[in-house]
Amino acid sequence: MESGKNERVTIREFCANGSCMEAKELEAKLDEGNIQEAESALREGLSLNFEEARALLGKLEYQRGNVEGALRVFDGIDLEAAIQRLQSSLSEKTPVKKGPTRSESPSSVSQHAATLVLEAIYLKAKSLQKLDKFTEAAKECKRVLDAVEKIFGQGIPDTQVDNKLQEIVSHAVELLPELWKQTGCYNEALSAYRNALLSQWNLDNDCCARIQMAFAVFMLYSGVEASPPSLAVQIDGSYVPKNNLEEAILLLMILLRKFSLGKINWDPSIMEHLTFALSACGQTSILAKQFEELAPGVYHRIDRWNFLALCNSGAGENESALNLLRMSLHKHERPDDLISLLLAAKICSEDPHHAAEGAGYAQRAINIAQGLDGHLKGVGLRMLGLCLGKQAKVSSSDFERSMLQSKALQSLEEAVRLEQNNYDLIFELAIQYAEHRNLTAALSCAKQFFDKTGGSKLKGWRLLALVLSAQKRFSEAEVVTDAALDETAKWEQGPLLRLKAKLKISQLRPMDAIEIYRYLLALVQAQRKSSGPLKLSSQVEDYTINEFEVWHGLANLYASLSHWKDAEICLQKARELKEYSAATIHTEGIMFDGRGEYQEALIGTFNAVLFEPNYVPSKILMASLILKMGFKASPVARSLLSDALRIEPTNRMAWYYLGLTHKADGRLVDAADCFQAASMLEESDPIENFSCML
Amino acid sequence: MSGDEATTVSAADSPEKVQTAIESLSSIVPSLSITTPTSLLSNPEIYSHISSLLRRPNSGAGDNNLCRWLYDTFQSGVTELQLLVLRFLPVIAGVYLSRVADRKPQAGFEAVLLALYAHETTSRAGQAVSVTIPDLAQPSLYHDPKALTPNNNKNINSSTELNVAVVSPSLEPHGTVRSTRRARIVGVALELFYAKIPHMPVSSKIDFCEFCKLWAGQDGDMYKNLEEEEDNGEESVVFVDAEAELEEKEKGKVESRVPLPWELLEPVLRILGHCLLGQNKRDVELFEAASEACRCLFARSMHDVNAKAILPIRSLLRLSKTLVQNNNELDPTELPFTDVISL
Repeated sequence: MESGKNERVTIREFCANGSCMEAKELEAKLDEGNIQEAESALREGLSLNFEEARALLGKLEYQRGNVEGALRVFDGIDLEAAIQRLQSSLSEKTPVKKGPTRSESPSSVSQHAATLVLEAIYLKAKSLQKLDKFTEAAKECKRVLDAVEKIFGQGIPDTQVDNKLQEIVSHAVELLPELWKQTGCYNEALSAYRNALLSQWNLDNDCCARIQMAFAVFMLYSGVEASPPSLAVQIDGSYVPKNNLEEAILLLMILLRKFSLGKINWDPSIMEHLTFALSACGQTSILAKQFEELAPGVYHRIDRWNFLALCNSGAGENESALNLLRMSLHKHERPDDLISLLLAAKICSEDPHHAAEGAGYAQRAINIAQGLDGHLKGVGLRMLGLCLGKQAKVSSSDFERSMLQSKALQSLEEAVRLEQNNYDLIFELAIQYAEHRNLTAALSCAKQFFDKTGGSKLKGWRLLALVLSAQKRFSEAEVVTDAALDETAKWEQGPLLRLKAKLKISQLRPMDAIEIYRYLLALVQAQRKSSGPLKLSSQVEDYTINEFEVWHGLANLYASLSHWKDAEICLQKARELKEYSAATIHTEGIMFDGRGEYQEALIGTFNAVLFEPNYVPSKILMASLILKMGFKASPVARSLLSDALRIEPTNRMAWYYLGLTHKADGRLVDAADCFQAASMLEESDPIENFSCML
Repeated sequence: MSGDEATTVSAADSPEKVQTAIESLSSIVPSLSITTPTSLLSNPEIYSHISSLLRRPNSGAGDNNLCRWLYDTFQSGVTELQLLVLRFLPVIAGVYLSRVADRKPQAGFEAVLLALYAHETTSRAGQAVSVTIPDLAQPSLYHDPKALTPNNNKNINSSTELNVAVVSPSLEPHGTVRSTRRARIVGVALELFYAKIPHMPVSSKIDFCEFCKLWAGQDGDMYKNLEEEEDNGEESVVFVDAEAELEEKEKGKVESRVPLPWELLEPVLRILGHCLLGQNKRDVELFEAASEACRCLFARSMHDVNAKAILPIRSLLRLSKTLVQNNNELDPTELPFTDVISL
């Protein structure tokens, strides 16, 4: 580009002091190496002094692309002496009475001379840069800025400055940090950037923005750990960044604001850098706010919605994300956007009431995943399987539920064939098999998941133990749980300890279970008192066991042992933490039942169901109490149990009591069917619900 | 810089320790011709030779002499030697994580990783690393809110609390690598690598990019034209045949697909960002390796439908593409050329 420009047929000329002179003759002398002759000719032709002539010749050589020649010309100037003379002349106070006799004001003449000298130094720096002599170039560039600082001791005033001079200053301010970076002197680059932004250089908006952008990029990606800004520049109450990331984010936010105010043109890389900076430290909700401040029109509205949906989803705000995706996936907007379809399906798969909607998105994704996007078909199938599995949980009929479950399994199995290495998918398939009570397949998948993740996922250990417990292999499940406890830090052992306690109960070792609950209680209380290690937000939920759960578990355990006083104490503790809870009221009912106080027990279960209409244990207990008390109310009991089975079709106790109800009413065939179902389920009942793993 | 080293050793000890390190390494790997400290620290052949040894099938075992040497050398506390060991972290972490599913003994690698983790724990005193996100409604070092307030906005004077983001959680001491803490330990080691990345050679960074591709377990080739495809939907028709070739190609590959939780992915992204956008003199080979790693990680984030990962990785892809396009951009620090040169 540059060489082409130089080859252009150009008639250059020099102008000064009212005279002009063609450059052709001088170029010939320069090409012959006769710098002095060229200089003499220029001086005579335009009535110039030595420095002026040299400066002009150097500029000519630079523009012709002869950077080495330019350096030779500039080296002939004693720039240091010129600067000193410049300073002394500017500091002189010209007598007022002589003013009228001059054609120009003193400051104007001085600025003119300053411009000439500083431009020469600047071009020398540029010449050195082009010769890859970055260190020397940086030093020359710094001389320009140092000189300017001496000339304008209080910073460059807003007025009275020659445009040419300001231009050179701006260029030098922008160039210096770049040169230091190319040299590898990062601390100097850092100082140069801050000096550029914090000193009064009178930079225009575009120049300032370019420097801010380059500085932000330097902070974000160079890996150089910057020292915080000096306290000398600190203003009371001002935000002063204390590390690279904070400084970069601040600068990028300021750039966005400048654009919003119309001070600079749009540069999409500002938003991309800010996206990287904020999402890399997990702050996608703040990123969304920054994005929303942009005026409409900067981004197409569909891209806007999709971007915000990703931010909301990244921050765990799924409802907001889903609403945005619904808009962008509308048939009149961009219905075939694959990322949006998959994200919407995933969000829906976490809520049974959105699952049917999610299945629709997943099916559309599967249809679209072709060509270059064909590799995502397996993801679509996975999402479809998850959504159908969730949808089955709120089905209104057995037939529909079975059909949805079968389709879910089929979809997940098909997905695994396409995504054999996706261990999350294998985990989800294991859950589906387990809920189907296909425990052999579930165990196989659980082992695969465990192996592929190298035991690094807590849920892998838990699932393995749960499936083994469902197969009544309690000692093996305990071995797995103990190994998991060894591999887990103390703060995160809660779910495993709870699991282990339940295993002890299943093995009819309640005293061991009590010990584990006490240890768990101590752990939970210690955890509550200390703030614990600071965690990433995504880490917190996985490991949470609250104190209420532990007290309630203990109460249940004591009640099952008929230790009423102990159970009451634990229940009281649980009530202090959560005053009204279906679980505590239910446990109270169990205690009344155990003591033979059936009337009070019945009232308790009734209250529990009032609190939580879908609380299955209380529905079952209520039905069993009705049967036990000999009420002529078996239709009510049957209704309660049918409702419980609608919610938890694999609840064996519900099947058992339904069998008792049928038997009491004389329907022996129905009763036998129910007892058989209960018996089969008892053979494959886990100690915790499989669905709590998802 | 010396203040950063928790185990700083006086300069008088350094030459002796360097000499000891050289002698013990020479005895472990006789074929290496190390004559001076300088050659140990800067010879690229030594790096590639040791790297290839670290990739051998049993290289991570507890009785592996090279692992022991790396461990002892890092524990020496000499800055140059610690930086030397850090160069090999991409290979150590890369091979280690890729082998986790194979159940091979890797106590040697784990010892080195734990040494790096312990060093970082000590230098940070176990504290979390957090950043305070600025709020432009408050004044800052670089701006005055009055000058940057939109005209249509009322100036809300309520002082909102600044958001504090935890970039790296607190560090707890670990004597062994528990499987559930594996990602955290490797992640912290990578954070240390990133903190010293200006001192790392290009070959070390390229190795890192190669392992990122392996960990992602996804082919990223279909995202080479990420932005262009969005503009021209018709292009995808052209690539249908190419996809068939890709499928054939993929069947030969054995992908390892390592778990990439956030505590591991975050330092990975920082290092990749540096490799793509943090270089002053762009190394073409490094840039290509980093671009490819980025595409593979993007494909992985798509397969995981992980919004938190899609955002930064997509931005890196877009920015690196912009970098290529901007290669021919005008230099804003160039003075304007004129035909009339005047005072």
